[in-house]
Amino acid sequence: MSFDLDFLFRVLIFPGFTFILFFTMFCDWVERKIEARMQNRMGPTYTGPFGVFQPFADFVKLLTKEDIVPFNVKNFAFKFTPIFSFSIFVFSFVFLPIDGANIIFNSNFEGDLIIVLTLVSIANFFIFLSGWSSMNPYSAIGATRVLTQFLGYDIPLFILALAPAFLAKSLSFSVIAANQNVPFVFMIPWAFVLFIITLQAELEKDPFDVPHAETEIVGGYETEYTGRRLAFLKLAKDVQIVLGAAIVVELFLGGPYGPTFYGPSAFWYTLWFTLKLLAVVALTEYLKCVFARLRIDQVLVVNWKVLLPLAFISLAAAVGVSLWFNLLR
Amino acid sequence: MSINIDEILKALSDALRDRILQTKSLRPEKTCIQVEAGAHKDAVKVLLKQDGNAGISAITGVDLGEKIELMYHIRICGTIITIGTIVSKENAKIESITDLIPGANFHEREVSDLFGVTFEGHPNPKRLILPEDWPENVFPLRKDVTAANFQSKTQISGASKDHERVSNGEKLVNIVLGPQHPALIEPEKFSLKVDGEIVKEVAPRIGYVHRGIEKAAESRTYLQNIYLVERICGICNACHATCFCQTVEAIMGVNVPPRARYLRTIILELNRIHSHMLLLGHAGLEIGYETLFHYMWRDREPVLDIMEELTGNRVITSFITIGGVRRDLKEEAISKINAGLASLKKKMSFYRQLFENDSTLKMRTRDVGVLSKQDALKLCVVGPVARGSGVDMDVRRDEPYAAYNEIPFRVITYDEGDAWARLMVRLGEIVESINIIQYALEHLPSGPYRIRVPRIVPAGEAIGRVEAPRGELFYYVKSNGTAYPERVKVRTPTFANIPAFVKIAEGGNIADVPASFVSLDPCFSCTDR
Repeated sequence: MSFDLDFLFRVLIFPGFTFILFFTMFCDWVERKIEARMQNRMGPTYTGPFGVFQPFADFVKLLTKEDIVPFNVKNFAFKFTPIFSFSIFVFSFVFLPIDGANIIFNSNFEGDLIIVLTLVSIANFFIFLSGWSSMNPYSAIGATRVLTQFLGYDIPLFILALAPAFLAKSLSFSVIAANQNVPFVFMIPWAFVLFIITLQAELEKDPFDVPHAETEIVGGYETEYTGRRLAFLKLAKDVQIVLGAAIVVELFLGGPYGPTFYGPSAFWYTLWFTLKLLAVVALTEYLKCVFARLRIDQVLVVNWKVLLPLAFISLAAAVGVSLWFNLLR
Repeated sequence: MSINIDEILKALSDALRDRILQTKSLRPEKTCIQVEAGAHKDAVKVLLKQDGNAGISAITGVDLGEKIELMYHIRICGTIITIGTIVSKENAKIESITDLIPGANFHEREVSDLFGVTFEGHPNPKRLILPEDWPENVFPLRKDVTAANFQSKTQISGASKDHERVSNGEKLVNIVLGPQHPALIEPEKFSLKVDGEIVKEVAPRIGYVHRGIEKAAESRTYLQNIYLVERICGICNACHATCFCQTVEAIMGVNVPPRARYLRTIILELNRIHSHMLLLGHAGLEIGYETLFHYMWRDREPVLDIMEELTGNRVITSFITIGGVRRDLKEEAISKINAGLASLKKKMSFYRQLFENDSTLKMRTRDVGVLSKQDALKLCVVGPVARGSGVDMDVRRDEPYAAYNEIPFRVITYDEGDAWARLMVRLGEIVESINIIQYALEHLPSGPYRIRVPRIVPAGEAIGRVEAPRGELFYYVKSNGTAYPERVKVRTPTFANIPAFVKIAEGGNIADVPASFVSLDPCFSCTDR
């Protein structure tokens, strides 16, 4: 059997694992810089040019720290849930076109949108397990909040994601992205706004960073983690942020597609994808800086009483838009 | 006001008659009614009848050799009336007044720890200051405990008992805030018993950084003690120095020159501004609003620059001394200070809009940690915590010191009693402080900025009160005619406000604990002394 070098390259190097990893760290740097400048601070400055290597340095530093496992934790769950959640988030990228094609060629299929959203829910469940298995009261409260907040917001997220799916008449990321002659953000802007708000809760950013509220419960589910396990837990969160932004790009901003110029189209598609994703990251970071943290009961009120009804209304409105556009043809 | 006090004293005299042993003066112009042991409670009842809003300011213990004098400093009609009584060391027992004034709870526990007086009928007579494994019958503030024999008397076993631990099987989960983990970056401990996200019980424990400053003050000269009390708290050090110095000045009968009084007022208000800004930024941090934290602390920097201009130091200014202040203010510095304050005043209107309009900030502070006016009075809270609950009290106005009787200013009060109101009081006070400083600079009298005073202080007793940024700061100084004080008593504002935290946290949400807590502006360096 001959190895398909192109396959390995795409999966392991670009636009696969390595690219995702370093792009995640770059996005982390972008986030830190934006937050710092909004708060009259410099942010990372000294590690590499403009401090761009700081997230990588932090990751390596955590890897070298002592890995402490408290004696009364539930061993298997405590040890492996960080790597599980990280793996699931990374794997979800397989279904998103980044350079105009999926990481694994022709791996898209009808319904992969549902698969990705389900994978995100499963990964959140593993994050819950990481806190629950820590046998620490602060971790337990944080884990409970994870379960309450993430599983609650998964529902409006899913409903809001159906709006672009309906417009594109497909449940596949590739098809949805390819069918946006006009980015859906301009056709159903209300769905985009609601999706960003819901995403803020999914990504655990202000005003929804309740599960790890450090001034209340130390670090929530992260409290008992050290060393390389903490490194992967934090990396999982960072990958989740990039994945969330990538989903927004695919559903509302036309995916990797945009005007192409001289050279291979894959280059321009990757560039467009990157720029759009950074714009979404910047938007979520801006929102983080201008809000205080809510309480968990306020988070739930926002979910069940505001976002969920609005999500249904948004879907109905998207159906109306779709029908209207059909009438025009 | 004085007529009212005379009426109160007459009512006391009528009610207690021959159970009043003597009346003595506490400088400046305060009265101490000494009563028989056992009559103190009746005296407190009379005071409460005269003014239902009367509260405890402090309880001072003084070692008299074979006896211990207890002085109940009752805050009434904006001033202090002291009820004194004496118990023997061999049978150091007295009736608790906590059932009359709930705010006396902590004060009685403290005196019990440090002087060994048993308060009979106290609802919670546990240790407050000393560690759990402190040896029995050793009371640090008694005179028989000295620097020489302290080590041998206090052999601590190190086996700490934690009385606040929840036993296994109980439904409520024990959540600890402080003293050894980062959720509360302060060395105090609050054991919360929570049911889901709801706090059911709060048990405070202080004393982790008790440094024995009151004891240390007895073996230092008055001048050295200024240095000592300034380090009770880095943030409101000028208040401690001023309060101590004016108390000693009252014993000596020294009149501070007008220029010095104005300069003291300026430094005290600068203290208040930067303390409040520190707290408001910290409040933002506690509710997850990090941007507010960074902005507020950025804008606080010019205030520290002004302090440096005035005193040469940014934080612990060492500006106050007995008889006046240690440096004069140069004329050319006045325009710099005025420019800095004018700029700050503009920024404060931005922050006011922010606190009044930001939706997430309001969601986290409105109707959170509500302390009713009635509870505020019962628990004897002080400062912005009291004013945020509609209690109109301020030592600067009620008993003016420094130059406050010559400077117009408003006392800021809010009626909501929630965390938001307490923060808004501080926001309003920053603007008032700016106005006070501007007025003081404009009307700064010429003349000497200090007078020289002798090292020896004649025998006497005095009370000093200052409105620190966090509330009423209370000092009692007793001199014995030497260069070393017989007794220095310090009661800090946070000590008076912690019982209110128990009240406002119970029944609330875990997430509201930091918001409620920070709105009290706690300072544990102050509290523990």
